[in-house]
Amino acid sequence: MRNNIPTAALSEFVNEVAENPEEGMMSYGIEIDWESGTRSCTQTKPMLVGPHKVSRSFSWKVDEPRQLMGNNHGPNPQELLLSGLGSCMMVAFIAGATAEGIQLESVKIDFDGELDLRGFMGLNTNSTVGFPKINYKIHAAGDATPEQFEELHRKAVAHSPNAQSFINPVELNGEMISVQVSD
Amino acid sequence: MSISNIRGDAHSAGPSLTTGKWLNKLERKRQTGPLFGTAHAHELGMSTRAVHAGTNDDPRTGAVGTPIYQTSTFVLNDDQYDSVEGGYARDRFIYTRYGNPSQWAVQEKLAALEGAESAIVFSSGMAAITATVLAMVDKGAHVVAASDLYGGTYNLFNQEFPTLGMSATLVDSYDLEAIEAAIQPNTQLLYFEVITNPVLKVVDIPRLADMAERHNIRLVVDSTFAPPPVMRPLEHGVDLVIHSASKYLNGHSDLIAGVTAGPRKLIDQIWPRLLNYGGSLDPHACFLLERGLKTLPIRMRAHEASATALAEFLESHPNVERVLYPMLPSHPDHALAKKLMDMGTGNVTFFVKGGDEAALRLLDHLKLPKQATSLGGVESLISLPFNSSQATMTSRQRAEIGIDPGCVRLSVGIEDADDLIADFGQALEHIAPMKEAKYA
Ligand SMILES: Cc1ncc(COP(=O)(O)O)c(C=O)c1O
Repeated sequence: MRNNIPTAALSEFVNEVAENPEEGMMSYGIEIDWESGTRSCTQTKPMLVGPHKVSRSFSWKVDEPRQLMGNNHGPNPQELLLSGLGSCMMVAFIAGATAEGIQLESVKIDFDGELDLRGFMGLNTNSTVGFPKINYKIHAAGDATPEQFEELHRKAVAHSPNAQSFINPVELNGEMISVQVSD
Repeated sequence: MSISNIRGDAHSAGPSLTTGKWLNKLERKRQTGPLFGTAHAHELGMSTRAVHAGTNDDPRTGAVGTPIYQTSTFVLNDDQYDSVEGGYARDRFIYTRYGNPSQWAVQEKLAALEGAESAIVFSSGMAAITATVLAMVDKGAHVVAASDLYGGTYNLFNQEFPTLGMSATLVDSYDLEAIEAAIQPNTQLLYFEVITNPVLKVVDIPRLADMAERHNIRLVVDSTFAPPPVMRPLEHGVDLVIHSASKYLNGHSDLIAGVTAGPRKLIDQIWPRLLNYGGSLDPHACFLLERGLKTLPIRMRAHEASATALAEFLESHPNVERVLYPMLPSHPDHALAKKLMDMGTGNVTFFVKGGDEAALRLLDHLKLPKQATSLGGVESLISLPFNSSQATMTSRQRAEIGIDPGCVRLSVGIEDADDLIADFGQALEHIAPMKEAKYA
């Protein structure tokens, strides 16, 4: 086991999906319930790995700091966005390193992002609502050359589903299901 | 590296590591096994497979049959170190808990008999069941299982599951609608016994397999009561088949063992649980099990012949209320049994007139069958559910799962039918309540 990834099983899975693409179809879902103020709770739904159901019993709270009218009871949506981006790049980086036989000692990804809330507030400026850019640094130690690490970095971003969802336009299809309550 | 340096499955090579390349260049594909010698032929007859599959003569001396590799550990070379690093240690000999040629021989034989790609043997049926079930579920998972499971399996779902933050709904294995209704969003597994104990219900495995597929969940069955000459559940669409090999597979009531067989993909997911939970089978027990398996088909024919003759005799006896033997037309599941089972087994359940008191008297007067739980041995074994396997239940609870008073659980061995019939004949004469009055 290199980097605690069973390389043989990884290889077998890749070859299985090549022959039977259905096994590579992942389906995910979460549910977010508003709790109070800016705080909500996210719950994972069962996921499908190929045609096989996996129980996912995880939940977490998301909140804004008090300065943004919240109670600071959990990470905020921007931090979770960066976490989802970075931990996906991490999986790609580790899997790619393992497939190449690179033994890793440590890997850390450090993210920073700035956004201008005037966009959220609708104040009349030219600023974007979302992050105009995100900066990160990958700190890695292992038995690869700096050139190999650079190449691995490039490939990890190129194959990371979340990084690619950031870089490319994603169709966001929403539907409003409402109930008017009168008392 | 030359083949002779490979201590394990010579057909298994490591994943090609490709500097500068991505995952799509990984070459290792999943294959059947692990195999010590050449692949067994699934198209051979059941008895031929039982004798030859997996069994490897000693290459150094020519001694016929698999030697007993009574060792805990193996001398390591570069290839074995590579296998640990590359994540294919299941295909090499490293340490006996991980794998041992004596285990591989039995595993290959069992895989050939079940028509499976791969199998793992365990130190008991329960070790096979716990490792298999826990490999197929995740945090927060739910399982739908039969309400009349073997007691140890029931305890896994009833006692261990809540501690692990998982849950199970137990449903009558006849009631397919209730089974389907019990499936929840977090259900990952259907778990059933193909023939239940003691009333020998034959469960509709093909329909359960269809249900599991429609719901994207796995179907795992315990086929202890129907060894491969009788039924091969993988052919009916189940994902994994488990046995307590302590019963028919070994057949001599002289060891405790278990096995799980199925696709290599799933067996490889169970293997790390074997390593973590530790229920590996000792090489000497493997030798006994391998030896027992060689006569499995021929033993099953003897079990069936004596059980059929005895069941027919019991059915015609005035002191017997009712006989349950799936291959007799009187069994409620006879039609399904004919469809799913290639032959009968040694398990006969019957109800004597006069209730549990009469059943106790019957046991006291029998000379051949041993009063013992378990089943599938060459010697007939007999017990009463009310004071053994279902002793913790109330009589009402027992009645709910079909265990009416006077229920006798019999595992017919391979003794001559005439001797068994004579023995039961004389013992049944003693059970009538009015005879008791004479001595009162
Ligand atoms: C149907 C069934 N499954 C599992 C087991 C457990 O097997 P073992 O005793 O080998 O652990 C038994 C044993 O009685 C059994 O009858």
